[in-house]
Amino acid sequence: MISYKHVFKSFDGGKHFAVEDVCFEVHEGETLVLLGSSGCGKTTLLKLTNHLLQPTSGTIEVDGQDIARQSSISLRRRIGYVFQGIGLFPHMTVEENVAMVPRLLGWPAKKRRERAHELLGIVGLDPETYATRFPEELSGGQQQRVGVARALAADPAYLLMDEPFGALDALTRDTLQRELLALKQRLKKTIVFVTHDIFEALALGDRIAVLQGGRLEQIGKKEEILQMPATEFVRELFAKPAQQLAAYGEML
Amino acid sequence: MLAESWVALVSERLPELWLRTGEHLMLSGVSTGAAILVGIPLGICAARIWWLRGPLIGGVGILQTIPSLAMLAILLTLLDKIGAIPAVIALILYALLPIVRNTLAGLEGVSPAVVEAACGIGMTSRQRLWLVEIPLSMPVIVAGIRTAAVLSVGIATLSAFIGAGGLGQFINRGLALSNTELILLGAVPVALLALVVDGSIAALQWGLRRKRSRDSRFRAAIDRILRPLALAMPVALVVLGCFAYFSTNTSSANPAWGPSGTDGRVIRIGTKNFTEQLILGELMAQLIEARTGLIVERRFNLGGTMICHGALKSGAIDMYAEYTGTALTAILDLSVIADPDRAHETVVREYRRRFSAEWLSPFGFNNTYAITVRKSDATSRNLQTISDLIGIAETLRAGFTAEFSERPDGYPGLRSVYGLQFREVRDLDPALMYQAIAKREVDVICAFATDGRIAAFELQPLRDDRGFFPPYQAAPVVRSEFLAVRPELRPVLDLLAGFLDDATMQRLNFEVDEKKRRPVEVAREFLEGQGLLESSN
Repeated sequence: MISYKHVFKSFDGGKHFAVEDVCFEVHEGETLVLLGSSGCGKTTLLKLTNHLLQPTSGTIEVDGQDIARQSSISLRRRIGYVFQGIGLFPHMTVEENVAMVPRLLGWPAKKRRERAHELLGIVGLDPETYATRFPEELSGGQQQRVGVARALAADPAYLLMDEPFGALDALTRDTLQRELLALKQRLKKTIVFVTHDIFEALALGDRIAVLQGGRLEQIGKKEEILQMPATEFVRELFAKPAQQLAAYGEML
Repeated sequence: MLAESWVALVSERLPELWLRTGEHLMLSGVSTGAAILVGIPLGICAARIWWLRGPLIGGVGILQTIPSLAMLAILLTLLDKIGAIPAVIALILYALLPIVRNTLAGLEGVSPAVVEAACGIGMTSRQRLWLVEIPLSMPVIVAGIRTAAVLSVGIATLSAFIGAGGLGQFINRGLALSNTELILLGAVPVALLALVVDGSIAALQWGLRRKRSRDSRFRAAIDRILRPLALAMPVALVVLGCFAYFSTNTSSANPAWGPSGTDGRVIRIGTKNFTEQLILGELMAQLIEARTGLIVERRFNLGGTMICHGALKSGAIDMYAEYTGTALTAILDLSVIADPDRAHETVVREYRRRFSAEWLSPFGFNNTYAITVRKSDATSRNLQTISDLIGIAETLRAGFTAEFSERPDGYPGLRSVYGLQFREVRDLDPALMYQAIAKREVDVICAFATDGRIAAFELQPLRDDRGFFPPYQAAPVVRSEFLAVRPELRPVLDLLAGFLDDATMQRLNFEVDEKKRRPVEVAREFLEGQGLLESSN
């Protein structure tokens, strides 16, 4: 379980808050989607979670432990992170990229290799073909599969995903979303997933947290949010795409 | 230049070329290596510690702007040493800038997304550096190393000025003897060496790069053949350099790196960097070799009076030939003494007292400065004495050696004694000065009275009618400590005392300067002709 307790984050010494008084919890085994437009603080919140950023005030607890009181290095090795910019190491092969966290944790070479190949299989990349390739030799979708495999390598209980499919075309994104859902069933991870895409949020999220201007507008199951939007903003947010979809349907 | 004469020159000089190439590789290799070891950590510090960045980059930048000769001179004074050590330190300092700057640029150029990923998956700061940042900056860092290596090969030529050897020795000697072939014998291999060194590092980098699995079969095949070759190239270069250096590195052939202590069996003779000095050096060396059991180390062609003097004081050389007038004014800082005998007595006394060095008997000639014009001008304008220049100096261009322009017994003194003010004064290399006046690029030079080129270039020395120039009698100066161990040195060198008058010295200089003969031969011929080489017992 991850819990946020009155978390504030300011980058300018308190004039503006990128995250303002955020309180909620991520339950064991659920996929929580942080939804909001750019600049709403969702990525900041994610980075606070594995201590890439330190909160200005408030505490974040992972498994009941305040993360400020533990080594951020070992924290990060226990939490898988899939980056918005993918961030594969361009000078390493796919296999080396995937095996990086196990390497940092000191696994023996053989075990690392087996684990990397296993994970490549799980994310749908044939290890025989892809293990020895370099990131530049892969398509964007393939790169992000490797990114997911890397995040899963040390079998972390938590997975933080920062708009992982944002830069992909619609078809690839759809495939990867499906695969993530399947993966989730199989691996039973607790996932915090950041997106600005409402359909992605509805497709993947068990619960959705809507952020606006650094504040939490509403958190709840998707049905609750759709049926009982807590604020005008939330209602608008979900109404817009529905109108667009209706217009699109008429055109067809 | 004819191809045959080149072939002849190169084949004749091949053993020395080999030795100097080895020295050159050693100088530039050792210094580039050290600069890598120092520069990369400095670059990393600059990237990591924000307040160090400005001072570090500024500091190594300033080092780079110090002119190379000035740097050598400064290090010489600081270390009180000639030879390879100050040369290597200077080269390291020059090589630092490209390495530090490129390391910083490389580290800063690593994509922020990759750095964030490295942090985000839980790398420590050190792991991030070694596993991600350094590998990704490697191309930029290696580019810096290549720049540094090429720079070192180039600047290493200047280390010959302070007796560190290397290919610069040919250039230096060629300049001293105005011998273009000799200059090229140094310059061409240096240029080739720079290309080879640059290519080898590039080959090493290419050879170590990781294969891409998608490389076509054709490329992969080429790879298999070329990769070992690429890796062999730098290895071959290092092996070759070490071999060239160590295979010929006997203490007499390679003074630059030899021991600098005195054991009384080896005498290290220095010279300044012009023809007469090289001939005197050879005369003394060959006489000592023929008549004593001493082994002679020739540390010739040191870049000027102060470097020779510094080397003698610090014991880097045991002996060189100095001129009384120079010693009085430039070294002892005393006023001019017109009487030759009194001048000699004074330097004998002062050197004993201040520097523990002994002046032996003068060779006989007086190589005073001679304010010299073209014979044609002397005739047409009726110039006979320096005073005849008064009134027309403002229309004349002067070309002086750098030393003459600064020394109190040079232009500054001349100006106040005669009231001369030339239209323009250019600093020229001693060898170029004569060509410049012959080609009418300057009108007045400070020739040396014993220079053979005065006659050869149809020049006219002007009489020093106000007796400004002190006598410049040349004599061997030996460290007292050495003379105490080997007292037989004095009678042997005294064989030359009074033996070389102005005309003789002019003739010997002319043989080298204009007939392009080597000082070694000219000296041997003279000594043989005088029967001085036959052993006295």
